[in-house]
Amino acid sequence: MQSKDNKNSSFILFHQSINFFFDGVKYKGFKGDTIASALIRNNINFVGRSFKYHRPRGIYTCGIEEPNALVQIISEYGEPNTRATIKEIYEGMEVESQNRWPSLDYDFGSINSLLSPLFTAGFYNKTFMRPRGFWKKVYEPIIRKAAGLGKPPQPYRTKSTHFHHHVDVAIVGGGLSALLALKSFIGSEYQVLLIEKDSNLGGILNNSNKISKIFGKESSLWLKETLEEISTSSNIKILTNTLVTNYNYINHLIAIEDLVVGTKPLENIPDQVLHKIRADQVILANGHIERLISFRNNDLPGVMLASSFEKYIERYGVIPDVNPVIFSNNSSTLSLLKTLVDLSCKPQAYIDSRPGNKLEKDLLNVIHENNIPLFTNAKIEGCQGKKKIEEVSVRDSKGNITKIKTNKLCISGGLNPDVHLFTQSKGVLIWDDQYLTFKPDTPFQNTIVIGSAGGIFNYGDLGKDIDKKLKFLNLKQLGKIEFDLIESNDFFIEKLWEVKHEKKSPWSKSFIDLQNDVTTNDLRQGIKEGFDRIEHLKRFTTNSMGTDQGKISSINALGIVSEILKKKISEVGTTIYRPPYAPLSFSSIAGRNTYEFYDPERKTPIHEWHKKNGAVFEDVGQWKRPWYFESKPDESFEEAVQRESLHVRKYAGVLDGSTLGKIEIKGRDALEFMNLIYTNSFSKMKPMTARYALMLKEDGMVMDDGIVSKISNEHFIATTTTGGAANVLSHMEEFAQTEWPHLNVYLNSVTEQFCTFNISGPNSRSILKKVFKDINFDNQNFPFMTFGNYKYIDSKINILRASFTGEIGYEIYVSPSMALALWEDLFRFGEDHGLIAYGTETMHLLRAEKGYIIVGQDTDGSVTPYDLGLEWMIGKNKEDFIGKRSLSRPDTIRNDRKQLVGVIPTDKKNIIEEGQHIILSRNYKPPIKMLGHVTSSYMSPNLNHSFGMAVIQDGKKLINSKAYISSSKGESFEVEIIKPIFFDKNNERLMS
Amino acid sequence: MLIINCPYCGPRDQCEFTNGGEAHVTRPKNPENISDQMWAEYVFFRSNPKGIYYERWVHSHGCKKWFNSVRDTSTDEIIKVYKIIDKKPLPKEFKNKIKTPSGEPKVGSGNFTVKK
Ligand SMILES: [Zn+2]
Repeated sequence: MQSKDNKNSSFILFHQSINFFFDGVKYKGFKGDTIASALIRNNINFVGRSFKYHRPRGIYTCGIEEPNALVQIISEYGEPNTRATIKEIYEGMEVESQNRWPSLDYDFGSINSLLSPLFTAGFYNKTFMRPRGFWKKVYEPIIRKAAGLGKPPQPYRTKSTHFHHHVDVAIVGGGLSALLALKSFIGSEYQVLLIEKDSNLGGILNNSNKISKIFGKESSLWLKETLEEISTSSNIKILTNTLVTNYNYINHLIAIEDLVVGTKPLENIPDQVLHKIRADQVILANGHIERLISFRNNDLPGVMLASSFEKYIERYGVIPDVNPVIFSNNSSTLSLLKTLVDLSCKPQAYIDSRPGNKLEKDLLNVIHENNIPLFTNAKIEGCQGKKKIEEVSVRDSKGNITKIKTNKLCISGGLNPDVHLFTQSKGVLIWDDQYLTFKPDTPFQNTIVIGSAGGIFNYGDLGKDIDKKLKFLNLKQLGKIEFDLIESNDFFIEKLWEVKHEKKSPWSKSFIDLQNDVTTNDLRQGIKEGFDRIEHLKRFTTNSMGTDQGKISSINALGIVSEILKKKISEVGTTIYRPPYAPLSFSSIAGRNTYEFYDPERKTPIHEWHKKNGAVFEDVGQWKRPWYFESKPDESFEEAVQRESLHVRKYAGVLDGSTLGKIEIKGRDALEFMNLIYTNSFSKMKPMTARYALMLKEDGMVMDDGIVSKISNEHFIATTTTGGAANVLSHMEEFAQTEWPHLNVYLNSVTEQFCTFNISGPNSRSILKKVFKDINFDNQNFPFMTFGNYKYIDSKINILRASFTGEIGYEIYVSPSMALALWEDLFRFGEDHGLIAYGTETMHLLRAEKGYIIVGQDTDGSVTPYDLGLEWMIGKNKEDFIGKRSLSRPDTIRNDRKQLVGVIPTDKKNIIEEGQHIILSRNYKPPIKMLGHVTSSYMSPNLNHSFGMAVIQDGKKLINSKAYISSSKGESFEVEIIKPIFFDKNNERLMS
Repeated sequence: MLIINCPYCGPRDQCEFTNGGEAHVTRPKNPENISDQMWAEYVFFRSNPKGIYYERWVHSHGCKKWFNSVRDTSTDEIIKVYKIIDKKPLPKEFKNKIKTPSGEPKVGSGNFTVKK
């Protein structure tokens, strides 16, 4: 039969029609409709294909618990797995069904249904194992094509934002019990935040007909008055359209708010808000969820949970079918029956698994008054139909089968308190024998659970229970609340998890997890194969592992398992519900922290000059550094680097080294501290001199290097690598505070206080002489590794004679405000001397020609100073420094450690590639012994051939011998192993 | 996310802090005079108990101060925070909270969801 509008519903604006598209076909709904309610209004029930077998699936529920009706919103970046039961329609919305190809009606993948014996429990682990090699070539491509939920969305820039709340009380849920609790907070001293996932408050009052009057008033009137009363209280804040997804430690809640309910998201306007809530007290009032019953083909479109059916009538103004069949095992279906009858819709039959003499009087009265066919002590055994239910089979207590023609079957297998958030908070559950379900028992945090979420299903107890639980807050008491109910006061449920199959065919399946296509037989098979622990069985069968986490079926699975194992359900236990409660998109988590806001970009004061002069930048940590400079538009990376490298050694070049980390060390005990932190000894060092220094971790491995300048025994400045600055400072802080708190020493990052220019090359001295006319740069007066304080215009500067290129060179430290002026001055005076700006790649090439290491490129956290040939940097006479003792550990004094060497090709035409392996024979076939690998390699314009640095086993002993090196061409070639220094081996240029 | 009570700044979100591993692992006074074994104990070996655990934190996005704390690793409850210079509180201060290797509280460890 057909659906019918229920114009009594006040939530749907029937005068405002909305056009939307489902799989390309235009339909009409009304303002307030969800995709699901609008489709039901149009008699569309078949909305998707299942995950594994591609069976036809329909709308099963009316809320967040929906396992089947997942759709893709084409008009919004193709967001997949959107619950049709939640998402409201808007004009022109485009919706597509999922898991079908080429179309919903003719789906190629439904062939999986015929292959279903292949897809039983554990199929991922077993079926595709043999024959060997088939996985990669045959199975995986097929599964990738067929499996999965929806397609990934298009890339887009999220406009969501984050919002932090700190409140005394957070109430999760906005239904009847939440509103009752909220009433008692009116005018109190507590700051209260209430979070409701629906756009309307009231829950069960809006979704069903169960409560007709409260204190003698129509329940809708009571709700209206209550909301007005609450709105006058300034201590209460309410978020609607907001779903709490996580309940973390120390009452930290994460909730996602939808700002575009019923409208298309607009450009540049936030569509979602991620709320981060910290509360002293959390009150969970998030209600309950109805569960299913498993029977043959319980997945056919047309099967729907009974309370959802009722919610469509009351909340969404559509009767999904005017003559459904109802199948229940408990008292909760009375209100649905009554609602239908009041709307002159006569159910085709009412089937109750409970014996006739135990049925509620009210229920029997409605049935008899309206001549509804009643089957007691009976069960739906199965249903038949192709893409929808056409007929259901009822089996009575004697085993007789009655067939009833219908398109809609409402089922109720009982009610579960929604315990997800409570278990996320690490609270412990207890089994309830009356309601046959788990309910919250002992909380771990400051958590109170009220209403049906707490297992209180009897409305008469509601007020008393809330008063008791909130007593410690000294609020107004609610007292007894008078309800007029269409609901039995004595809830009675008969245990029924699954109905036995009457007939067997490959297509007949009884599902326990609709989203993951897990059948009750899969559970049996899993247990038979030894997975008798519930957590193991879950992973083996994938039961309750879908995005709905088995919200309508997980208790049923426990029931079935407990019967197979002949254990109590409380002994079987439940799997742990994991956050999030429902999927939230990555875009909401990412918020505004995307693209240029993903990570700060740090630029030096010379950045704009670099840009104007053809710099191509590379990222070093957060810094943008010139990688190389294009001297003409079509110059390639290789050409530029070769040109810069030649030029610096011939004339002069300047590098913007402002990104280098700089740390100031001050205090009475600064000298002692420095001696402990670095391998070098600074005691005999003269003031105003500098030293190349090495820092180890306590395990003896090289951590960082840099230049330490000594101003006095109480004042040092240390440079660090660009990427290591933050680490080195926190390493120093840690030891200063925790191991040597008795030392008087203060550390300060001064990286941004100075810009650093590294000028080097044979002409650098004459250039500086022109820029700083009063400074004597002669070798005797300004030797290598000394520095001085000078003035540039009005600003203090520092010049240090040091070099990372092997040429004569100076580092100039200048305040950022004067940096660009000085940089431009350098070029004005340097023009005649051939000064160029060079980038990091040329710096790397030039330092490698000299065999200078880069920490993090030539080292990897497993390299000692000895491995690098840096013995000379170790203060032998020092009693102690970080890492010293580890340099005599059995592992660090091993003979066969990997050590740094240089490699050059015997045939100079060959090119050494970074990362290639050093081996001992020309012809190789894996596996082969590998001595080590190339850590740095470059084409040297100064040597006119390729060269590399490598760490290889026993490297020092192999110096002056020959070995082979692999290449990306698949052939090896011969290399000479030499000391890791390739250019100006006697440092004549450096000292000149 | 935990709330950590910095002894200098007061309670702050965990994201402001960096964990520094086990506390009260003191650097040996005379590294040259101790055995490889003892040195290795200091450099590499840390305890990993279920229950009472002394650990260090640094308020890295705040006052940058290091401090010590006592955390029950089975529930993540931070029982005490104290300054580096303060004395190590004895385990007996936290009586009934020390767990055997396999024991854990009935609520809060996340290992039990159902009351038996
Ligand atoms: Zn602090």
